[in-house]
Amino acid sequence: MIEKGKISSAQLGKMIYLAITPTAILTAPGISFNFARQDLWLSPLWAICGVIAVPLALGLNRLYPDCSPVQASRKIAGRIPGWVFAGANWLFYLYMSGIILREYGEFVVGAFLSETPLLIVLGSLVLVCAFAVRGGVEIVGRFAGLFLPAFLTLFLLIVLLIIPDLQITNMMPILPEGILPSLKGSLVLQIWFSELSIAWFLLPYVSDRENAKKSLWITFGGIILTLLLSNWVTLLLLGDLTGGYSFPFLILARYIDLAEFFTHLEALFMAIWVLGAFVKICVFFYVTVTGAAEWMGLRDYRPIVFPMALLLTLFGIWIAANFQEMTHAIATSLIPLALTMFILVPAILYAIGRLRGQGRQ
Amino acid sequence: MKLSRHLRDNVRRLRAVYSDCSDVIFHELRIGGHTPAMLVFIEGMIMLEELDQQVIAPLRDGPGPGPSLEDVRSRTAVASIRTVSTLNELLDEIADGHPVLLVDGLEAALVYGLSHWEQRSVEEPTAESVLRGPREGFIESLRTNIAMLRRKIRSPKLKVITFRLGSQSRTPIAVIYMEGAAAPALVREVLSRLNRIEITDVLETAYIEEWIEDNRFSPFPQLLSTERPDVAASYLVEGHVVIMVEGTPTVLVAPATFFSLLQTPEDYYERYVVGTAIRWLRYFFFAISLLGPSLYVAVVTFHQEMIPTTLMLTMARSREQIPFTALMEAFLMETMFEALREAGARLPKQIGSAVSIVGALVIGQAAISAGIVSAPMVMVVAITGIASFMAPRYTIGIPIRLLRFPIMFLAGMMGLLGVILGVIAILIHLLQLRSFGVPYMSPLAPIQKHGLKDVLFRAPRWNLNRRS
Repeated sequence: MIEKGKISSAQLGKMIYLAITPTAILTAPGISFNFARQDLWLSPLWAICGVIAVPLALGLNRLYPDCSPVQASRKIAGRIPGWVFAGANWLFYLYMSGIILREYGEFVVGAFLSETPLLIVLGSLVLVCAFAVRGGVEIVGRFAGLFLPAFLTLFLLIVLLIIPDLQITNMMPILPEGILPSLKGSLVLQIWFSELSIAWFLLPYVSDRENAKKSLWITFGGIILTLLLSNWVTLLLLGDLTGGYSFPFLILARYIDLAEFFTHLEALFMAIWVLGAFVKICVFFYVTVTGAAEWMGLRDYRPIVFPMALLLTLFGIWIAANFQEMTHAIATSLIPLALTMFILVPAILYAIGRLRGQGRQ
Repeated sequence: MKLSRHLRDNVRRLRAVYSDCSDVIFHELRIGGHTPAMLVFIEGMIMLEELDQQVIAPLRDGPGPGPSLEDVRSRTAVASIRTVSTLNELLDEIADGHPVLLVDGLEAALVYGLSHWEQRSVEEPTAESVLRGPREGFIESLRTNIAMLRRKIRSPKLKVITFRLGSQSRTPIAVIYMEGAAAPALVREVLSRLNRIEITDVLETAYIEEWIEDNRFSPFPQLLSTERPDVAASYLVEGHVVIMVEGTPTVLVAPATFFSLLQTPEDYYERYVVGTAIRWLRYFFFAISLLGPSLYVAVVTFHQEMIPTTLMLTMARSREQIPFTALMEAFLMETMFEALREAGARLPKQIGSAVSIVGALVIGQAAISAGIVSAPMVMVVAITGIASFMAPRYTIGIPIRLLRFPIMFLAGMMGLLGVILGVIAILIHLLQLRSFGVPYMSPLAPIQKHGLKDVLFRAPRWNLNRRS
């Protein structure tokens, strides 16, 4: 393997939690609302892809516990198909990192630094991420451990402070057209839930592998709970307006007015968001870089971190012409793509592996 | 080089080595009025009276010839007598202030432990004062310092390894640890790193500190330095290793973590509730000392909406006259403040107070009324200043003072986002840092549950060492 560092299963869980929730809180409610209407808050419960992704990642890891996915896919499917898979995979992860980065950039530019060039906003974060990724999986893991309490505290603080303004009538009537709208609304969320299969890439570094299963399921539950809470609060505050905003949760933070002193806490929200986006991009970028390095047959991934960082910054800009285009892509074409790469392809690999009787010994 | 049988050869060699050293005394005597012998010592480093009475007199007045080594040794009433047989050992002993006796016909020399030189009395260390707790501090004598530790921990498990470092200064160094508490691997690592040092002179612990650190480019201290025996002793029983150098009251403790540098001995001497509260106050102001001016710059430049309206109006009014941007203002004031502080620390006490008065007037009242800086800015700088004085150890305060400036710049360029990115960048560095293999940010990252009891709280003593 290309990485010598080790993480604990708790760190794995925290990394994955932070690699999924921040963007989901931010963009998902706006998109989901257009399908689910007032049943928006139910959508995170239909976490079908998560139910598939977690066992899939664990199962794939069990086939070759100490091999990275690049090595494992080569052993499972043979040299050429493995090579194709690994190549497609890191390109896909680069693309995903680009989308996440752009989401972050659009958010920062749109909400706070309206006159700063996008390139500066993207570049500065990518630079910091590159430093962290160069530090290895251990550093990213420790970051996740350090940031998770801060992230949760700030998130809960915002939820807590907004309680006086919530209107329970916004969620009425419950399930007027059955469960179908909330199911449709959860379609876009499947991107985030399928991201759980990124665990496959991190599992080989986990030192206490026996606890990884428990940790992943707890993480999965935590993600559902967080999304449930954030969707619910957003809905109760904004009601029918939810769909009209790109970042509904930001409006929440803006809305807070406590004793006329705690007002305009969106900076607080930005703090959460940057912390979250940082860990998220670190995890995705880490998978991209190590995947690319292994695919190219390098012995060390560190030399390509900065070149890849430059590429990532450019991807962040190339991904879409503007924010609307990207949101549209997320709501439409990204869903099948993500499901294919996060779920379908790993599932096929797993099936091949099992049919060949691998991972029994 | 071995010593010769003949006194004349040895003396000739010694005189050649100590040519032009007028402080080295060669005192000739005849044992029992017969056998020639030579006492060599350095003036001012020995107990002259004792030497006269206990060594010279009995040897001179004793019975006649035929002195064997044992014979000479038993004639003198000195508790510590050693024999050395090589010239290099002999030179080290003389340099340590031990009188040595060379006797004709003997291939070894006798070393009398009668060294004594002027030293400062034990005082309270000014940089680490406490309201409650012992008031003694280490001094410049290695022997006294070790004794001070031994007086605190009387167990034979307290091990002291001494050796010399520095090809020229030949400075005695002591590595001290508790057997059973300190990991043997740690002690080995400390010793091997010390042995790898290629240095001519060791005049202070800082000389070796830079050699044995894990990361030589980090602004953060990776070893804890203290002048307090009680601090050193508390780290020893926790399994750390203490490194002492002759000639300096500052000792090093390895490994050090970020949070150990933010603790004071008083956290443990006060009641635990108070200790915990004060510790959190310190963490908070530590963050302020890093981020205070940056947050102000970011909010004033980019996030005015965060300030309540009435306060915003007051601030806008005071900033109306100011020709500089908030960033420029902050740079100006912070640089001025650092300069004042440095000037105050270096000047003699009498002038120092004058500097602080003038400085307070210049960067405070006058600057505001002249319309160069705004009043809120002065407040922010003052609060930051106070916060930075709360850093319990000077060594951890310095990197923070230094890093304040780049973060201020980021805040001026990108607002809160810049501040957050800057903090992340610093954290990346801190998370990668290790001190003798121990992660610098432990026990917070990676999390070690029982260690958190002594970081997030100051757990009561009856609960502190329970590892469950």
